[in-house]
Amino acid sequence: MKTKLTSLACFIGLAISSNTMAQTEIEKLRSEVDALNKKAQEWEAYQSVKQKMEQDVSLLNDKAKEWEEWKAPKTLVHLAGFADVGYTDRQDQTGSFSFGGFSPIFHYQFADQFMLEAELEFEITEAGKSEASIGYLTIDWFVNDYVALVAGKFLSPLGQFRQNIHPSWINKLASAPTGFGHDQAAPNADVGFMARGGYLMQSNNSFNYALYIANGPTLEADGSEIDMIETPGLGKDGDGSKTVGGRFGMFFPDSKFEFGLSFATGKVSVRSGTSPNYSYDASRSYDVAGADFNWRPAGIDLRGEFIQQEYGAESSSVAPDSGQWQAWYLQAAYRFSGTNWEAVARIGEYDTPTNSKDVEQITLGANYLFATNLVGKLSYEFNDNPNAGLTAADRVLVQLAYGF
Amino acid sequence: MKTNLFKVYKTGLASLTVIVGLSFLNTGFAEEKADTKGDFARGAKTWVENCVRCHNVRDPKELRDDQWITTSFHMRIRAGLTGQQTRDVIKFLQSSN
Repeated sequence: MKTKLTSLACFIGLAISSNTMAQTEIEKLRSEVDALNKKAQEWEAYQSVKQKMEQDVSLLNDKAKEWEEWKAPKTLVHLAGFADVGYTDRQDQTGSFSFGGFSPIFHYQFADQFMLEAELEFEITEAGKSEASIGYLTIDWFVNDYVALVAGKFLSPLGQFRQNIHPSWINKLASAPTGFGHDQAAPNADVGFMARGGYLMQSNNSFNYALYIANGPTLEADGSEIDMIETPGLGKDGDGSKTVGGRFGMFFPDSKFEFGLSFATGKVSVRSGTSPNYSYDASRSYDVAGADFNWRPAGIDLRGEFIQQEYGAESSSVAPDSGQWQAWYLQAAYRFSGTNWEAVARIGEYDTPTNSKDVEQITLGANYLFATNLVGKLSYEFNDNPNAGLTAADRVLVQLAYGF
Repeated sequence: MKTNLFKVYKTGLASLTVIVGLSFLNTGFAEEKADTKGDFARGAKTWVENCVRCHNVRDPKELRDDQWITTSFHMRIRAGLTGQQTRDVIKFLQSSN
């Protein structure tokens, strides 16, 4: 009996001891499980942050790729241009608000080799109709650092005003110089082929050139007199002979002085009838000569230009006599230091085969530059020709021009 | 006098044609060494000197990098700049906008 009791006591003692050890083990395991749970939670948090960061990196990569596409694709597209609105008050007539024009310019460039340039011209007529035309459309091939070949309809490279100064945000007065408007003394545009470019000399001076061959102009007769020479960039060579010409310019940056000489020669004929059934009489000689300069001494912007178009006599023509259009202008502009105000003065003259269209002109202007490409202009034109009637009336012009 | 003037101009036309013809051979007046990346300092100088030949200087911040490329190539045609001058101006404008 005693032995049995002793055995039972030992058994119970062992059991109690085992239970105590088990409790310890359980506590230990519980601690380990808690630690593992904590690590699992930390892992999940890490995975979540990692996933978020991977998403952010992916998004940034897409954005970077998108930016690179804008920055350096093979084809670039850019919309530029200019527009102007204003008010014109002509002597002896009621003044009118005017929409001068909207001229978007499209640039499509392929690498550094080709560029398509196109300028559209939108205008509103007196009758309120909108008219659209192509100012120029060319494909330019940059052959090397010194030559670009230009094909299509281009602004005439003869002189400076028609090709470079005519945009309203660039022209410092609200009107073109007399004789430098459409179908006047300065050729406007042509359709053909041109090579142009420039060279930099060791002296830092440079020269630039433009040489072209094109369809050339046509003459409009009024009875037995030539009324107008049209140079809008004709799609047909009616006189059967191409016009060749160009401009050569020298630029002296240290003196801030540039001059250019322009020339062209070819044939021209009188056009009659209506589109598309035009007819052309016998061709006659056609020559153009011009000179231009710009100079900026002491902050004064000086520029001037002379241009002359002439056609020869042709006895078989409905208008047999020879004739000549000639125009010139000198312009000075000064921006007052530390202000946005600019004063401009221009003097010019336009001589035509028809004396009634001749004009002597002085124009004064005050401009406010909201930005270098956003200009408010107030101009006053003194026009004189005793035979001209309203075409030579004085004018006040107000204009807001924006180049973009 | 008028006829002589046109003869002079026609002679000039012929001479210039020869010059342009030579430039196709890349012989001409090329003292520039091709720098395809452009040069900031040269570009700034070209920009200051040439833009005002016709118009007010535009702020480099007006356009994005890609827009300055097309605009500069457009002005290469208009102003008779060389290819190197164009690359220099692009470098300057893209670094300044």
